[in-house]
Amino acid sequence: MRVGGYAPIEDYALIGDGRTAALVERDGSIDWLCLPNFDSPSVFGAILDAERGGTFELRPAIPFTSSRRYIPRTNVLETVFTTDAGAVRVVDAMTIPDERLPPMRELVRSIEGLSGLVPMVWRCAARFDYGRARPEPSWRVGVPVAAWGGEAVGVANWDAGTPAWTDGAVESQWAMRAGARSLLALTTAYGEPLVFPSRAAALSRLEATIAFWDRWSSERGYEGPWADLVLRSALVLKLLIFAPSGASVAAPTTSLPEEIGGERNWDYRFCWVRDSNFMIDALLHLGCYEEARSLFWWFTQATALTAPMIDVLYRLDGGRGADERDVDLAGYRQSRPVRVGNGAVGQRQHDIYGALFETAWLYSSGHRALDADTGALLARIADHVCRIWARPDSGIWEVRNGPFHFTHSKAMCWVALDRAARLAAAGEMPARHAARWRREADAIRAYIEKECWSDEVGSYTRVAGSRDLDASLLMLPLLEYSDGGDARIRGTIDAIDRTLRVGDIVYRYRAEDGVPGIEGCFLNCSFWLVSALACCGRVDDASALMERLTARANDVGLYAEEVDPRSGAFLGNFPQALVHLALIDAATSFAPPADRRSRRAAS
Amino acid sequence: MIGSAIAGGFLGTLVMTTIMRGASELGLTRIDFALLLGTTVSDNRRKARAIGYVFHFILGLAFALAYAGFFAIVGRSGWLLGAGLGALQAVFNGTVLVNVLLPVVHPRIGTPDSAANEIALIEPPGFLMLNYGRRSFLVVLAAHIVYGAVIGWVVTV
Repeated sequence: MRVGGYAPIEDYALIGDGRTAALVERDGSIDWLCLPNFDSPSVFGAILDAERGGTFELRPAIPFTSSRRYIPRTNVLETVFTTDAGAVRVVDAMTIPDERLPPMRELVRSIEGLSGLVPMVWRCAARFDYGRARPEPSWRVGVPVAAWGGEAVGVANWDAGTPAWTDGAVESQWAMRAGARSLLALTTAYGEPLVFPSRAAALSRLEATIAFWDRWSSERGYEGPWADLVLRSALVLKLLIFAPSGASVAAPTTSLPEEIGGERNWDYRFCWVRDSNFMIDALLHLGCYEEARSLFWWFTQATALTAPMIDVLYRLDGGRGADERDVDLAGYRQSRPVRVGNGAVGQRQHDIYGALFETAWLYSSGHRALDADTGALLARIADHVCRIWARPDSGIWEVRNGPFHFTHSKAMCWVALDRAARLAAAGEMPARHAARWRREADAIRAYIEKECWSDEVGSYTRVAGSRDLDASLLMLPLLEYSDGGDARIRGTIDAIDRTLRVGDIVYRYRAEDGVPGIEGCFLNCSFWLVSALACCGRVDDASALMERLTARANDVGLYAEEVDPRSGAFLGNFPQALVHLALIDAATSFAPPADRRSRRAAS
Repeated sequence: MIGSAIAGGFLGTLVMTTIMRGASELGLTRIDFALLLGTTVSDNRRKARAIGYVFHFILGLAFALAYAGFFAIVGRSGWLLGAGLGALQAVFNGTVLVNVLLPVVHPRIGTPDSAANEIALIEPPGFLMLNYGRRSFLVVLAAHIVYGAVIGWVVTV
């Protein structure tokens, strides 16, 4: 149910083609699509401005209910609209290009009458450049085309009424009889002429796209508990990989708010080093070796300009710079500002070094030797970590009131140097400085044990010398800082469980972070708690929590970044890669740690 | 003339390669022609770079012969004319050769059209190779101007 034109975030499903992605609402409206790439300006942005954002509606013209699913093992969405007059099925997909002169990007909407005679309507209101530009309506060989600057979209349509331009949108009404089929194909171009597909070619690509996703899914190797949700998460993650470069976006959206009406609205359409390394871990676990290798290569290329320092995030094309600015959109349910770019790019976050080395270690453990250049690069970075670990940073949560001496960051620097020493011992990295790396790792551990532990709280703390807790500390046993049987680790997990958990979901912290407003519970932290509980042997507690968390997925198995603990509504960007990565880790955490690691390395 | 073209091409490519490598070490660009060319035949980085350097020198010699042919046609040479040809080649490389033609024959490089069914190992260079850093084209331009100037200086008509 929409309020003020805005649907709940959990009412959306994602379709995509590995270059960009669209959010489809339960009522058949496509309210988010950036063209030609994830990080391009939106053409449909009604999710951020119901009036001016632009949308592509397709629905019955009379009251209806809808149910939907992904066609099994695919990223192709099927919605069934049921009305008093009959039922209609709509299949939505962004097609994979073939050899039949495909459009630059193509979104196909196939409509089939299931029963009765249902009046239908479609309406395409393209609004370029985040809603700032209304298009010039025109026709090309009978196809309605909206163009602005170097961009154009057209709606090729077959048996879907007689479209007409009205107030900057093209729309049409027609009646679907049982057994009848109609087709809409949104064809798009940027800096090149539009390609108008034939009906046969568009349908052929739709079928090939379904076959591609089914084939891709059949190659995934996971057969453990919660297999369906793990596969859905894998499919989501594949959608979030930007195929032209191999980078992965943290989420395909910007500025879906962490607080309704608040200003915690961020652009996640970048590749975070931290996420990409969780991603490589998951990809290896799922048998997606080629995707993991591609992301690892992308990472070594993207960091070449900055090494041994690493930026927090990079653009999808590998470039640096993500200057943050506000765009003139009303915001999801008046949550302003709507931001493009991300100011975190200028921060120093030391945990990313640990993520990098953990990934390199896992990557090389699977008999995929690091080449000499990468080994030399890692050695330079390890030396850099020795120099910086004692400095404060902005931490995993990118606080804007720092820097502080975050315990998690220190622990991740320990991970970096521990793995560097292991890689050197395995002959994967130059070993000249290995003794120094081991010595500094020991020094970090001594610092954490002395400065970052509170006897009073019975837990490691958020920052050195404080009493605050932080859900990121759940990562400590998962990264082998200590094993799950360690008393301090158990104490930390208990304290977080007691203090930050609300029902089945977990706040990341309850401290100031330099941004006004409140936020919801972070789903990735909730899944980390599952992993941590399983890691320290509390399998029943972990399993029970996992069951409750899996019930929080929306009807098609997707998660946003956060959940409102009061209403249960999704908050934040959607769907978020880190949550699905944490879900995969949690699902696979029920195997003994040694088995997990060996299975991942052997994948 | 062919001999001087080969000598000029070798010397010009040597200088150009040094400039490109130096710019990379200085953090001005992520362009790595050796890796770009070598990964057409190998996904082993070290092997690819070695092969890529061979390819780069072969191309450097081939273009030097083409420059010499141009000098012969117009009936004059000189470092200034060579530098101009180098500048033109840099523009051609940045807009067409590396940006458009190389991805067509390169099995491991992404293109703007790569979709979920393809897995790229090398990110696409983009217009004027700007994906590899904002100063990339300036570096390419400078390197090719020097390359052309060396050939124009060595080859006499």
